[in-house]
Amino acid sequence: MRGRWAELIGGPFRASWRAGLGWSIALVVLIVSTVAFWPAFRGASGITQAIDQLPAPLLGAFGLEGFGTPAGYLRGGLYELVIPLVFAAAGVLFANSATAGEEDAGRLELFVSQPVPRAAFFAGRSIAVFAWLAVLTLVALAAQLASDQVFGVPMDTGRVAATVVLCGLLGAFVAGLCLAVAGFVARPQLVQSVGFSVAYISYLILALFPLSSLLAPWREIAPWGWALGGDPLVNGAEIWRYLLLGGPAALFAVVGAYAFDRRDIRSA
Amino acid sequence: MASRATRAPGGQAIRIEGLVKDYGAVHAVRGIDLEVRRGEVFGFLGPNGAGKTTTIRCLLDLLRPTAGRLEVLGLDPRWDSLALRSRVAYMPGELRLPERMTGAGLVAAVSRLRGGLDTRRRDSLAARLDLDLSRRLRDLSSGNRRKVALLLAFVADAELLVLDEPTNGLDPLIQREFLALVREERERGRTIFLSSHVLSEVQRAADRVAVLRQGTLIAVGGVDELRRRARQRVEVWFDGPAPTAELAALPDLVDQHTEDHRFTALLAGSIEPLLAVLVRHHIVSLLVEEPDLEEAFIDLYEAAS
Repeated sequence: MRGRWAELIGGPFRASWRAGLGWSIALVVLIVSTVAFWPAFRGASGITQAIDQLPAPLLGAFGLEGFGTPAGYLRGGLYELVIPLVFAAAGVLFANSATAGEEDAGRLELFVSQPVPRAAFFAGRSIAVFAWLAVLTLVALAAQLASDQVFGVPMDTGRVAATVVLCGLLGAFVAGLCLAVAGFVARPQLVQSVGFSVAYISYLILALFPLSSLLAPWREIAPWGWALGGDPLVNGAEIWRYLLLGGPAALFAVVGAYAFDRRDIRSA
Repeated sequence: MASRATRAPGGQAIRIEGLVKDYGAVHAVRGIDLEVRRGEVFGFLGPNGAGKTTTIRCLLDLLRPTAGRLEVLGLDPRWDSLALRSRVAYMPGELRLPERMTGAGLVAAVSRLRGGLDTRRRDSLAARLDLDLSRRLRDLSSGNRRKVALLLAFVADAELLVLDEPTNGLDPLIQREFLALVREERERGRTIFLSSHVLSEVQRAADRVAVLRQGTLIAVGGVDELRRRARQRVEVWFDGPAPTAELAALPDLVDQHTEDHRFTALLAGSIEPLLAVLVRHHIVSLLVEEPDLEEAFIDLYEAAS
């Protein structure tokens, strides 16, 4: 059975190595190139003063609070939108290509007809997706910590780690949701639409709700807010944020496996 | 070591009772009853869209039937699917393989999922099928990809081989090798369920066939039996003008044509009434052609429609 599991997880993991390499390079380039400009902003008090004069809700909406500080700079340049968006997009595309995309192309039939429980087959693919997101989390964390050292950004390692891990868990949450949808239907467009819509709406809630006094208390009702609403670069993160993202991600994958076990497999 | 086939109990390899499969308003299979015996090569015939692949996918639990009861190797495909799939090898008709893998990589992956495959048999099959397993699947022609799928089916040492359109796109030499492999598997006691619309291939390989039309079975029987049921072509040369009036009175003789001394027709029943007419006349020659499976198939279709 060990050989079977090695194939059930390792097969789809190996099949995604090009995508994994591409996302890794993108993360490293984004992080290093952004952090590389920190020395220019560190001494530019004029820019930071100008930014600080913007209305507080607007600063919050664009993640520009304290832009002249190391944490504010990293938040505004990377962790308010760009890095979580990369993780969310990677989660959607990894999950879709491992399940609905492959099934829609007719490439699952040969494998599903082998003596392996269907739920285990789906679970193996889900684990491969989460494993790639874990790899990307480590790559991003390594790139961030190394860049901070090289370009002199004085950041607390624990808070940086918390922020990057929460971004990775946001990607896992969205990937889990996509896996659940793919478990029910082999429609790649639907899977991607659901994944990207949830990520985008969730970002809008965190960014725009603070602009309305009526909606401001609800800014953390969506996954983006669970991940980054507490400003982990400054404050660190409570344990419930990890659980609220990671728990449902795993639960969604289980739901997907359950549904996949109970429906017709699509042929080419 | 005893093979799985020799350890299996006797009886039916496949039993289908009242199988129905609907896709929304589309009725793909409309109530099939069928039995396939252990150790036989069974041809499953029908044109595209007749419901062959849908039936096969139900047998392998890739599709869930709308109604009906299925039993494969004594197991229920829905509830004993894991045990069943370890005893069945399947070659899909619409073949989509992971393009970036090599043939050898795909065989290794399937081997891990099946808990091991015989590497000597793999190499022997690759040689017989003239297949280079070191090449990436995307670089192979459709025929060579089909050879990879054939190899995967035959290397599995399964009790039941379910092959959906296995020789589509294969050259005649490999088709011949395929038929040899089928015969060898039958001699080893394996059951082969062969879906095809290449009737000459089924005629050479199958013990019995079923003919499917628009989701219903229109005939099941031995290949020879089906051929006998089809209309025979009759050609008679008379010493003088053909006795058209007498011949026209024979109800089983259809599609009659007379040209001077030559008479042709299709015989749909017993030949005795025709012989009774012919003995009263001087005939130069009599030719009664036995139909091949293709003619039998077309006949069955025309009769059903």
